[in-house]
Amino acid sequence: MSLRVKLILIGILLLLALATTAIAANATYQAVQRFQQQKALAAAADVRTIHPWMTIPYIAHYYHVPEAYLYRSLHIYDTRPPRHATLHALAIRFNRPVDELVHQVQTAILNYRKQHPTKFRYPPRIAAQDTDPAHTSGRMWL
Amino acid sequence: MSTLLQILITSLQAYGYPVLWLIVFVASVGAPLPTSLVLLAAGAFAALGDFDIALLIVITVTASACGDSLGYCIGRRWGSKVLNWLERPGRRRLMSPANIARSRLSFNRHGAWAIFLSRFLFSALGGVINLIAGSELYPYRRFLPFDIAGQVLGAVIPLSLGYVFGVSWEAVGDILGAFSAFAFMFLLVIVLTVILVRSIQRSKQEMLIRNRVTDAATSASGPLPL
Repeated sequence: MSLRVKLILIGILLLLALATTAIAANATYQAVQRFQQQKALAAAADVRTIHPWMTIPYIAHYYHVPEAYLYRSLHIYDTRPPRHATLHALAIRFNRPVDELVHQVQTAILNYRKQHPTKFRYPPRIAAQDTDPAHTSGRMWL
Repeated sequence: MSTLLQILITSLQAYGYPVLWLIVFVASVGAPLPTSLVLLAAGAFAALGDFDIALLIVITVTASACGDSLGYCIGRRWGSKVLNWLERPGRRRLMSPANIARSRLSFNRHGAWAIFLSRFLFSALGGVINLIAGSELYPYRRFLPFDIAGQVLGAVIPLSLGYVFGVSWEAVGDILGAFSAFAFMFLLVIVLTVILVRSIQRSKQEMLIRNRVTDAATSASGPLPL
């Protein structure tokens, strides 16, 4: 291969690499912007950030809703609820579409916030003790 | 989110640390699994107390070191034989023996950086680099420290980002993926620029030598007598 042909080939490769670098830089910038939007939504505990990978305790913690309330809204009445099951796993276990389950959880959180306009800002454990019937009955026994 | 990633995260939550070890090990050998995203998710779960972050780091580093070592052994066992066959002179091959010898020399010189960076920055190339390192008979005593050093960063970065950003770990994963591609392409641009500049310099030198030879030939023949 002559030196001139080699130079032309390297030049073409360099131009292609530069174009791809520009595309990758743009993709990185857009990913950062998406992250900022996502972070803002997460900070506001927006229900649109609920995903199938989340577990019920995870949702309860981040969206300040009692676990028991979420299990009840999903019609899961097990005495020992599946703490480590993601929404995806719950959908498979109860033979329901995962999107429907996510939507149900979102609706339940929004309803809870409507019912407790001031409470939902409290730490989840306090809210759980206030609304969970198990805790309430426990207090009555004491 | 892909179905595969959902299955991996569901398995991680259901079976815990052993599944994480297995996922990281299989990915380190060379299987195309989204390990960084699984680690980000594990970090997010650790923030809630489902996992211990220190144990996650230990498990990830040991699994990836074992997987990388297996990849290296595969390369050393079979890859070196392929390279030896390619190096034999004779029939027309895809790569010339001279090129293979040059790549061997180059890997021995810069292999440590390739091993180190492919553990966390260009993680998609990790499996291939292990095979190449084994094939090139890169000393294992040098391979392992660089591998572990890179893997510590490869474990700490996604786990801590997942731990800190929690719900937004998917968006963080997008940034890491896009930045990895950008860094790789940027490095390629630098390498190609260096090659282009050297080629131009060589071309200029060749032209200069050619001109001098022509001048010398002209002056030797002398001016024509009037």
